[in-house]
Amino acid sequence: MFRVRPVLAIKKEKGADAGKQGVSPLNSYRRFFGSTTGLWGAKQGYFFILPCFLLLLLVLGFPTIMAVLNSFAPIWTTGLKNFTLNYYRRLLQDYIFWNTVLKTIYFVGGTVTLHLILGFCVAFVLNKEIRARRFFRVMAILPWTVPDVIAGLIWAWMYDPISGIVNDFLHRVGLVRSTIEWLATPTLVMPSVIIADTWRGYPFVMLVLLAGMQAIPKELYEAARVDGATWWQELCYITLPNLKRMIFIASILDIIWQTRRFGLIWVMTEGGPARATEVISVLAYKTYFKFFDFEYASAMSVAMAVFLFVIGLPYIRMMARRV
Amino acid sequence: MARRVLVAWLVAGLTLGFAVAGLPKVKIVFSDWHLVEPHWEKALKEAIAQFMTENPDIEVELEYVSYAEKETKYMTAIEAGVGPDVMHLGPIEVSFALFASRGYFLDLTPFIKAEGPDFLSPWYPATIAAVTYNGRIYAMPGDFMSMFLMYNKRLFAEAGLDPEKPPTTWEEFLEYAKQLTRDRDGDGRIDTWGFGTVGKVDPGFQLRFTPLLYSFGADYLTPDYKCSALNTPSAKEAFKFWVELYTVHKVIPPGVTDMSPGKVREQFAAEKVAMILTSGWGPPIVKSIRPDVNWDEILGFAPVPVKAGLDPEYRTTAWLSYWAINRNTKHPDAAWKLVKFITSKAMEEKWFRDANVLSSRRDVTEVYEPILASPSARINAAELSRAKMVPLIPEWPRIIEAVNIAVQKGFLGVDPDLALSEAHALINEILAGYRVPGEACPGY
Repeated sequence: MFRVRPVLAIKKEKGADAGKQGVSPLNSYRRFFGSTTGLWGAKQGYFFILPCFLLLLLVLGFPTIMAVLNSFAPIWTTGLKNFTLNYYRRLLQDYIFWNTVLKTIYFVGGTVTLHLILGFCVAFVLNKEIRARRFFRVMAILPWTVPDVIAGLIWAWMYDPISGIVNDFLHRVGLVRSTIEWLATPTLVMPSVIIADTWRGYPFVMLVLLAGMQAIPKELYEAARVDGATWWQELCYITLPNLKRMIFIASILDIIWQTRRFGLIWVMTEGGPARATEVISVLAYKTYFKFFDFEYASAMSVAMAVFLFVIGLPYIRMMARRV
Repeated sequence: MARRVLVAWLVAGLTLGFAVAGLPKVKIVFSDWHLVEPHWEKALKEAIAQFMTENPDIEVELEYVSYAEKETKYMTAIEAGVGPDVMHLGPIEVSFALFASRGYFLDLTPFIKAEGPDFLSPWYPATIAAVTYNGRIYAMPGDFMSMFLMYNKRLFAEAGLDPEKPPTTWEEFLEYAKQLTRDRDGDGRIDTWGFGTVGKVDPGFQLRFTPLLYSFGADYLTPDYKCSALNTPSAKEAFKFWVELYTVHKVIPPGVTDMSPGKVREQFAAEKVAMILTSGWGPPIVKSIRPDVNWDEILGFAPVPVKAGLDPEYRTTAWLSYWAINRNTKHPDAAWKLVKFITSKAMEEKWFRDANVLSSRRDVTEVYEPILASPSARINAAELSRAKMVPLIPEWPRIIEAVNIAVQKGFLGVDPDLALSEAHALINEILAGYRVPGEACPGY
């Protein structure tokens, strides 16, 4: 027979011995850096995050600053000598740009709404005690692991009017007789792209909401059931109110990411046909890399960044309050 | 004594040997979108190996790049002060004027002058003019080819058309296309179409649409490049004809606005379409898609049709690629050696043998026996005299996109006149910088 000593007791003994000898890691650290508390302690923290901060400044800050400067002057050729607001003025008068703003609202509105609905439904089901729940959770996350360019290619093949699986299926079940040009009809192309993006993007929202659902105390549901609440009442009075914060976070982040979405749209339609799916990111890319109009493209990108910053402000405030 | 001499010789020999072997090699980077195409990759690797054998002091590293993204990649790299030493770019109208005006390329004029006064004489003067900016030569011309009609003789015969009599006018072309559009497998649905073309916003669009415009006697811009010329009756007629091939006559397969050059070639190789506009690259790509088919018996080639009763000076457009040296190169002499080698007569002949492309060198395209013996290359070379290049101005990518979108709108059912008038107005807006204040362009 043997006796198990409590782990805590062993730790205490070791700590006491180390203290006697004065070689504990904490003591060594204190001797080297000084106090870990108070003002100096806080400064040490900054010292340790400095490399990371400098790296971020280099890879994020530098391009951002250059893009902002570039939106006012052709900095790559003449520096800031020809500083002007003309590119922003042009932006205000450019009907093609405003068309892309509307298309962006359509795309972001459609995808974020569907991400939320589908993400919530899947999270709701996966939060229940169902068979093979882990397997279904993995399956539900899989689309998120597919890069958006690959997802775009897959869906473009599926939508192909002649050899695509979507038309073939609809023909076989007798739903349609003529060929539907999913990516070549202006009224159909945006919904088609939104569906493709919904498949690829809903798992993020689903994960956030599932985490939120798992954090809701089970006692609330048990009490509600004792009181005779239906599943609908549980949903309306327990699940949704407790998920409000998570829905808010997921929505804000999704809006920001969807506004920046480029790869999927580019490989599926390149903004076409006839600008029907030309969102801001696509227009900015074309303006910069196809028309080589660097300053104007920078102005577009800066305008988009400002818009996204405003959208993200409530989220930033919320995070700041938590800290 | 003899031993000492022997040792001295040995030491001297070894020192010399090590010195030669250890000569610092100049390393240059060569970038070409063709490297991603297997037949081109093989040809280019063979050529580079030969170059390195002939120039043991130069080592060439290959850099693969996609056709669609090469301009983006080079531009970003050059702006950052790096990039490949030698680049292959094309079509010329997409990048040359803009890259040259921004000083991305090394000025080749001194190298060319050093080669002697006759160095450029083998090249077509138009191609040298195309790579000249502000009187300086910034690149060497590469492939130079005209667009022509490629058709499927088997589908012609099945539809009751004479495979040896391709259409010569657009009116005839339409009749042929209607006859070729049919249900071949008898399931009640059309599965073969008369004509396949690019409708997507794509660099390949202009190569297909421009021949039509020229062969109707029309043009994109006025000769001084100040205004759009899409308001002329011939331009309107050409535009309407093109759009109605899809909307009225339905001789183009569904989904045309999503069709890229690659997809169109796939449709042609799958015998879903009977006629396409292409150039030297067309036959080998189609053969590579379906190598089991005896394409040599099936493929037919003809000049681009013209409007009936018209004999326009130009009826097709030309494709020109070019080789340029990065302004950031640290080894301009080695890079020039490589460009000179790649554009030499022997190499240009090799490019035809391995990839079926014609050269911007007359001493290859006009006299090389295999070119004269090839049916597609014969048409290709003959049509160069009837080919005109699109305007080489920095605004060209935006101008052609405006036309591309107008055609898309037409395909999607917008009134062709309305779609073309929008493009006309937008192009005039783009070209505003070429006009003096107050100078206006004629309306639509």
